[in-house]
Amino acid sequence: MQASEDQLKAWMTRGLDGDAAAHQLLLRGLLPVLRQFYRRRMSGREDDVEDLVQETLIAVHQRRITYDPARPLMAWVFAIARYKMIDSFRRTGRTCAIEGLEDILVVEGFEDASNARSDVSRLLDTIPAKQAAAIRATRIDGLSTAEAAARHAMGESDVKVSVHRGLKALAARVRDTLK
Amino acid sequence: MNTDDLIDSLTKDVKPMPRHALRRRLIAGLILGGGGTLLAVGAWLGFRPDLWIAMHGGAFWMKWLYTASLALCATLATARLGRPDGAALGWLWIMALPVAGLAAISIAEMAKTPSSEWMAMWLGASWKICSRNVFLLAIPIFGGLLWSFRRLAPTRLRAAGATAGLTAGAWAATLYCLHCPEVSAIFVLTWYSLGIALAALTGAMLGPKLLRW
Repeated sequence: MQASEDQLKAWMTRGLDGDAAAHQLLLRGLLPVLRQFYRRRMSGREDDVEDLVQETLIAVHQRRITYDPARPLMAWVFAIARYKMIDSFRRTGRTCAIEGLEDILVVEGFEDASNARSDVSRLLDTIPAKQAAAIRATRIDGLSTAEAAARHAMGESDVKVSVHRGLKALAARVRDTLK
Repeated sequence: MNTDDLIDSLTKDVKPMPRHALRRRLIAGLILGGGGTLLAVGAWLGFRPDLWIAMHGGAFWMKWLYTASLALCATLATARLGRPDGAALGWLWIMALPVAGLAAISIAEMAKTPSSEWMAMWLGASWKICSRNVFLLAIPIFGGLLWSFRRLAPTRLRAAGATAGLTAGAWAATLYCLHCPEVSAIFVLTWYSLGIALAALTGAMLGPKLLRW
């Protein structure tokens, strides 16, 4: 199981205070995350993946004074991981193959998408639950009005009205925050 | 090496990190290199004999205010670029303020001086060596910063090299003031700035090579 940002950050903070056990937990906790990060991008070159994971762990350890506890930990870790990957591409003189590049871009897209997803769910939390459920079902999960009505035991017209009102409320909320 | 063994060996000896460890590391590097530069000013160029008297005059402080404010901004930018994430440097435009201020003083000084003496003001007695000296004096400080960077994690190497060079150049110019007897603002604006800019340019060129990690 992957440790959460909060958990990793707590280990990092304690490691910075000199707690060796917490520091070890942190590095072990980062292992699966980093392996996944590189595996997605290095398309199956398992040796390179493990080399990069090790290099990143060493950098996380040796350069941990550059971590600012006021910022998210994983953003810092990924910045290091990304640097190490680009550096290894440069070192091996690998010009990114077009397919490889696409891979990287798509995965970068995943990161953006997951950020966007959390933005959307935060926004949906601000409107009434019924409207949020209707929007989720029809606009995000891609159900038809009838399917959404069946899933949430609502009338079809109720779903339509909820979606309409919900979107209007969301638009107003977004407009407010942009002001 | 097995990754588990690696983690074990990395975490065998975990020292507590002091608060603001990054800042301390940078300052330590600056003091280390600055000491070398100070030594060079004293032993190679010699402190100006009238230093004590000069410190009671305005020109000396004008020069120091100019170079030290540039140095301070550059140091902050270097600290920022020493972190792998987030390097917003939009605020660096405030470095234009000391330059603009010194330019204003230059114009005011020249307005008070007959134009026949402008050339002498601009070139002073040491224009041929001033920029070169500032540049050479920047080398020890740049070396100190390279030591600091061994524990930092810059991801934009060229930018980090440029700000490190700028930092080294501006602090070197600040220490060079202890030797240089020139007093006119237009002299400082031209020849000091040229030396500092050369240091920054060199830093930008060397950054991708020397700051890799």
